Amino acid sequence: MHWPAHKFALIFFSSVIVVWLIAMAFIMRQGALTPEATGTMMAVFEPGSAPDKVFASLINAGAKPIRQTSFGFIWVVTSDEPGLAGRLKAQGAIGSYRNLPISPTIAGCFALADAKINEAFATN
Amino acid sequence: MQTPIKATPWYFTAVTVLVAGCCVAIINFGVRSTFGQFTLPISTEHGWPRETFSLALALQNLLWGIATPMAGALADRYGSARVLMVGAVIYAVGMVGMAFAGSPLMFHLTAGILVGIGIALSSFGIVMAALGRIVPPEKRSWAFGLATASGSLGQFIFSPLTGAMLAAYDWHTVLLILAASSLLIIPFAMPLLVQNSSGSKAAADEADISMGEAIKKAFGHSSYLLLTAGFFVCGFQLAFVTVHLPPYLAEHGISKEFAGLAMGLIGLFNVVGSYTAGILGSRNDKRFPLSAIYLLRAIAIVAFISLPITQTTTLIFTATLGFLWLSTVPFTMQLVIVMFGTRYMATLYGFVFLSHQIGSFLGVWLGGKLYDQFGSYNPVWWMSVGLGVFAFLINLPITEKRAPAFAVV
Repeated sequence: MHWPAHKFALIFFSSVIVVWLIAMAFIMRQGALTPEATGTMMAVFEPGSAPDKVFASLINAGAKPIRQTSFGFIWVVTSDEPGLAGRLKAQGAIGSYRNLPISPTIAGCFALADAKINEAFATN
Repeated sequence: MQTPIKATPWYFTAVTVLVAGCCVAIINFGVRSTFGQFTLPISTEHGWPRETFSLALALQNLLWGIATPMAGALADRYGSARVLMVGAVIYAVGMVGMAFAGSPLMFHLTAGILVGIGIALSSFGIVMAALGRIVPPEKRSWAFGLATASGSLGQFIFSPLTGAMLAAYDWHTVLLILAASSLLIIPFAMPLLVQNSSGSKAAADEADISMGEAIKKAFGHSSYLLLTAGFFVCGFQLAFVTVHLPPYLAEHGISKEFAGLAMGLIGLFNVVGSYTAGILGSRNDKRFPLSAIYLLRAIAIVAFISLPITQTTTLIFTATLGFLWLSTVPFTMQLVIVMFGTRYMATLYGFVFLSHQIGSFLGVWLGGKLYDQFGSYNPVWWMSVGLGVFAFLINLPITEKRAPAFAVV
């Protein structure tokens, strides 16, 4: 038998990461909320949005901010009134997701990626 | 007349065997690492106190340790592939039971006992036993590093994946998806059937002794006892850090979010560290790098708790510890082979691993108990440092040659 070496390890680990990213993208899409959704959720705004503007948008949408993630444009918010996801969208959010039970920074990365992909497909 | 050379089928080629073994390690370790995320949904739905869930996970870890030498003995006798397949089924049944358990007793039986046994039978230790026999000696340590790094990668990728699934689906469904994932171990174990029959025979450079005799002789061999005692420390340190570092960071003003990121860094650097250890283990001396890992862990802990705790020191500490996390495994496995050969390696590594799990149990338990008593984690941090120095010292005198009872006279 011919035994492979470091190149094999690199290709193997890279392939696993690619499969994982595809699976994450699929599951994030499943977790994206419809406009009628309410409760605790993660609101994703355009990267680079001014923190004051994002905060004002949350308040205008009737959301109670729970915490800001390491990205100033991704917040965990909540509301009891139906339609929070739709109101957030109307206020400029590019996507809303169920609050993930993992580091909001990591969750935010995937949420942003999904929101951007969804936005790109929606405009084209 | 020349005998025609039979080509190796694709499913028994070196690349297929390695990919399959690594996929088993990814799934086994990855799925196991997600259980903590079910604490809240399961406890809330059933109205159980957290203790019910914690006891199930404690049982699971204990069973994983106790069942590992037995799983190893089965792998040495019947080949790793069959044991992995049976383990995958028990693992999956345990998780299905976990999803539908209606009482604490059923939950302990399924999530605790069945899943614990399933993890032991389908663990990367069993994969490494197969690789140890299939891979030529010069590539063996590298293969162990690769399998260990795969297990680490599994932990790193399954955690956010499960988190995302819990957001998208009901927790019962997520457990069933994970149970189905663990069944993937069955097809991935098939290429390891290439090692199906060699396990019960002594290699050319090994004495022909029975398993019972091998266990007895191994426990009479001082270097094996030193290695086993050292691995206890590994378990103690890792389990203590896994469970008690996040609250320790919170006490020092580090946010929960940042602590999660820092813990994630351990997983990432663990992949690099395990792989590097596999490469270094190919060299002659294994006890020196193994000892050095324990000493470096002790130094890292002293530096971390002596300096002010900031985001920067936290990241440096978790990255360093991640690099040293499972890097003990390839060296430990290699030393077992050096001392006793490959015939009973899974069984004898199983006992070393049992010591690791006892250390894990004490690391978690003492961490909480001494914190309650002293109101600080410092006593256990210093205990970790002392144990690190102890492991450094006791691994140095290990004799890196075949134990007399296992050598061909």
